[in-house]
Amino acid sequence: MVCVGFRELLDRSSRESVNSAESAESAAVVESADSASSADRSTDEHPATKGPPDSASPLSSRVRTWLERHALALTALCTAAVLVVMLYVPTGIVFVNAVLENGRPTLAHIAGVLTDPFYVGVLADVFADPLAIGAHLRSLTGWVSAISVSLTVAFSVPIPAVDVTVPIPWFALSVPPVRQGLFGFTAVQAALSTVASVAIGLPAAYILANYEFYGRRTLRSLTILPFVLPGIMVAVGFYAMFGRTGTLNSVLGAAGIGPFAFIETSPLAVVILAHAFYNAPLVARVTVAAWESVDVRAVETARSLGASKRRAFRDIVVPQLAPAVLTGALLTFIFTFMTFPIVLALGGLQLATVEVWIYDRIQNLDYADAATLAVLETLLSLGLTYAYLRYESARSGLSQAASAPPTEPLFPDLRTALSPRRLAIAGYGLLALVLFVGPIASLVVGSVTDGGGFTLRNYAFLLERQLAGEQYQALPWPAIRNSILFGLATLAIAVPMGVVISVLTVRAGRSGTLVDTLAMLPLAVSGVVFGIGLLQGLVFGLPLPGGWRLQVTGPIAIIVAHAVAAYPFVTRNVSPLLVNLNSAMVESARALGASRFRALLDIELPLVASGIVAGAAFAFAISIGEFSSTVILASGNGSYTMPVAVERYLGRRSGPAIAMGTLLLAVTAASFVVIDRVGGRYEL
Amino acid sequence: MKRRPFVTALGGGLTAGLAGCLTRDDTDEENGGETTDPEPDDPDLEGTLEVVTYESMLDGETPAGPWLKDEFESTYPDAELEWTLLPDQGINHYISRASRGGTIDPDVYLGLNVDDLVTVDDNLDDGGLFRELNLDRIERSDRIRDGLDMGDPHGRVLAYDTGYISLVYDETAVDEPETFEDLLDPAYEDALIAQNAQTSDPGQAFLLWTIDAFGEDGYLEYWADLADNGVRVLDDWTESYYGAYMNEERPMIVSYSTDQVFASAEGNDLSRHQTAFLNDQGYANPEGMAIFEGADEVDLAYEFVDFALSNAAQAEIAERNVQFPAVADEHVDLDDEFDQYAHEPPEAVTIGYEDLRGNLDGWVDDWARDFASQ
Repeated sequence: MVCVGFRELLDRSSRESVNSAESAESAAVVESADSASSADRSTDEHPATKGPPDSASPLSSRVRTWLERHALALTALCTAAVLVVMLYVPTGIVFVNAVLENGRPTLAHIAGVLTDPFYVGVLADVFADPLAIGAHLRSLTGWVSAISVSLTVAFSVPIPAVDVTVPIPWFALSVPPVRQGLFGFTAVQAALSTVASVAIGLPAAYILANYEFYGRRTLRSLTILPFVLPGIMVAVGFYAMFGRTGTLNSVLGAAGIGPFAFIETSPLAVVILAHAFYNAPLVARVTVAAWESVDVRAVETARSLGASKRRAFRDIVVPQLAPAVLTGALLTFIFTFMTFPIVLALGGLQLATVEVWIYDRIQNLDYADAATLAVLETLLSLGLTYAYLRYESARSGLSQAASAPPTEPLFPDLRTALSPRRLAIAGYGLLALVLFVGPIASLVVGSVTDGGGFTLRNYAFLLERQLAGEQYQALPWPAIRNSILFGLATLAIAVPMGVVISVLTVRAGRSGTLVDTLAMLPLAVSGVVFGIGLLQGLVFGLPLPGGWRLQVTGPIAIIVAHAVAAYPFVTRNVSPLLVNLNSAMVESARALGASRFRALLDIELPLVASGIVAGAAFAFAISIGEFSSTVILASGNGSYTMPVAVERYLGRRSGPAIAMGTLLLAVTAASFVVIDRVGGRYEL
Repeated sequence: MKRRPFVTALGGGLTAGLAGCLTRDDTDEENGGETTDPEPDDPDLEGTLEVVTYESMLDGETPAGPWLKDEFESTYPDAELEWTLLPDQGINHYISRASRGGTIDPDVYLGLNVDDLVTVDDNLDDGGLFRELNLDRIERSDRIRDGLDMGDPHGRVLAYDTGYISLVYDETAVDEPETFEDLLDPAYEDALIAQNAQTSDPGQAFLLWTIDAFGEDGYLEYWADLADNGVRVLDDWTESYYGAYMNEERPMIVSYSTDQVFASAEGNDLSRHQTAFLNDQGYANPEGMAIFEGADEVDLAYEFVDFALSNAAQAEIAERNVQFPAVADEHVDLDDEFDQYAHEPPEAVTIGYEDLRGNLDGWVDDWARDFASQ
């Protein structure tokens, strides 16, 4: 019986590195001048941490030098190994169902989906007979000529006090009906959600990066809090905020307006807002990180050369922010393309997306159809990612230092506070209050109320379960403890993984872009499919020759699975900042004898620290929020986390689950603040 | 079962976290093919009985699980009852395991629905996964009410409780609907919330109820009319009830006939918690228990099934789980409060195993495709 733990694997890889270090001893002579100079340099730079003299332990020094030289390669190797076991194999064993029938390769499933109008709408005809170009063109021109653009008044606000109806133009396109199919509708709602998320996220980034106000740091830490909320909590929170008797209508009612049926009037608009609730903070956080590492000295230079403020912003700052903003948009599109519980919970089955069907097919054990849909979904996401990364890697930065724009006080005095710009900021603040704070606050209020008013019975339930719960039940404290431990461990694994992929791919040309695209697979694979792959591959065990089976479960497997889901966020936060850097700086350091790793550690990482901190916060958030891989990989009852406990308390009364969800929010919020504060020490 | 202690030892050998493991498949085949379990002369009532069940049986606010464990263990002092939480994939987890020849640890499955059995038989050999029960060994099995026979031709399952799907409505907003046709009336325009039959149990039950009422040739047409009258099909019961219905988005929802039990416990005004039985019917969703083919503790498992049908267990399961008992009235004593708030339909309908077999997936899929592409 052999049992290979992840830890042992790490041990072995470091042992091997020692061996290779010894065998490399003879070669070290050639490099001695080189390594001596690098040792000298490290002595110069870190006099306080200088250990015993090098002559006392030449071997350990050589090992250290060797490790330093190969640190990047080793981390990359570990990353690759983790990805193969925890991502490519589980995903692969489900994906093959799309192209196999009874063990024989087939394209029938893919052809079946591509020619089914239910899935691809009008494109089904094109896929069915791709060569009938003339016929397709004719139907296209017929359709285009029938388009007429008109703005309709679809939504009006009755104001009872004065008895008038104010018409509000609503975005309703009047084009001849096109059967979009499941994929078409999914893409359309994802595109709309992306536009909304960017539109709502950018002002937040602008305010957080440019103004100083009380609680700015804390607010920046809390931006991604929505990210960890289980879908059920967001759905219930949105109804509690925007429902007919929700918080917003209560507030408006107090002012004599309403009530409005926000959700009933336009379910699609509410779904898009819910997507913005999740993703606008993402856009904001990624952009803030970029904004804070902008090299504003170039702005000053431009200004001194006579550029107007606006011109300097457009020519210097915008190009440095663009990769981050586009990254946020890309991630938002991919997430909302694969959105699942939230569309159905708020919008209903009419707004079903591809992921809904994947889930349904998996439930029916129809792996061929599920895999086919998922493969198409992944190809689309990866295609978009590749297109973006081509753009990102083609850029070359000139930034030489992270000197963020100076922040100015938000409301220094009354006069400034009444300026148009400040009023616009205040207006945006109100919107953010309604959209982000509203649903969360309504949830918290819901956890302490029932039909009879204020109650603490839901929290009493949590306390009682903690004190008197049985071993087979979910208890609040172990859930909190596991969540935090898994989150920190995920952060520790995901940050190096993400950074190494950024570093290796950012300026590596087309092949780098390809590797980077493949490395984004965790974001581009259907969550449902990944879960089933983990179950069938790692939990049930992979058959190996000789009747052996490889099984991977338990806490470490959960952590590694979380890290796999999380590291793309680190990469996507760090890469846009890395491309902004002037590559000449690293080249100079290398020319002066620094190893690649040393140059990374001493030059690049400090300059992109704000991106790493943002990425670390995301990694933690992903781990806290992750549900399906946690329940699938947990062996026995010991490894449940907070969202799992929320799910398990969900009975016919929602109170206990919502109280647990509130606890989740509180714990996560506190953790974010701590991570940002600790990480902030390393920012310049 | 040799594998379990072995894995435990292996797990203990590793430190905090068991990460990667190589194990060897069991080579000794359990003979799971026998048809009936003859009554043993000397039943083995010692050991650990592993029972798998769903979350709310263990983790809910007033779960029945802890009571069942304590009571069972005091009735059978040499036995231990070990609860296992049903994996996320539900019955599919065990179907996948069985189809790969993997071992299945639990002895008893508590919470099996008729459609689970259909899924089992559609994917494994007919009559697979669970043992055919020898009812002579389950004395109390004849207490089960008529109409809760789950219709399994292989006799693998016995009901232990049942719920009824009905409508719950706000009597201050709409009148009680009496028939399915009433729901098409303009008075109920944009009034009804239902759940997705692909993902939600009540949602699927309501769909099956309409199939029972209109036949498999007529239900899609009825649903098209419902859609014209503005029915909204949300995802799960929880979001639709605690989200949409409780925030008064709409005055009517597909829910359980025990709704008032919770509403009164929450201190809610009962005018929004009225129960309507369309056509004087409710759709019955009986929950059953079954013994896995490869169970180690067969004798204890039989005792557990019989125990779950006892007078006291039936009352506790019903009240803690807020479902109706499976046994006839004379075999169970319920609190008056439960009787007052839990409403039983005049007539229970359900689509049995024979009709679901081979049809369920298609019915749901046709309906969902119609609805999603509107």
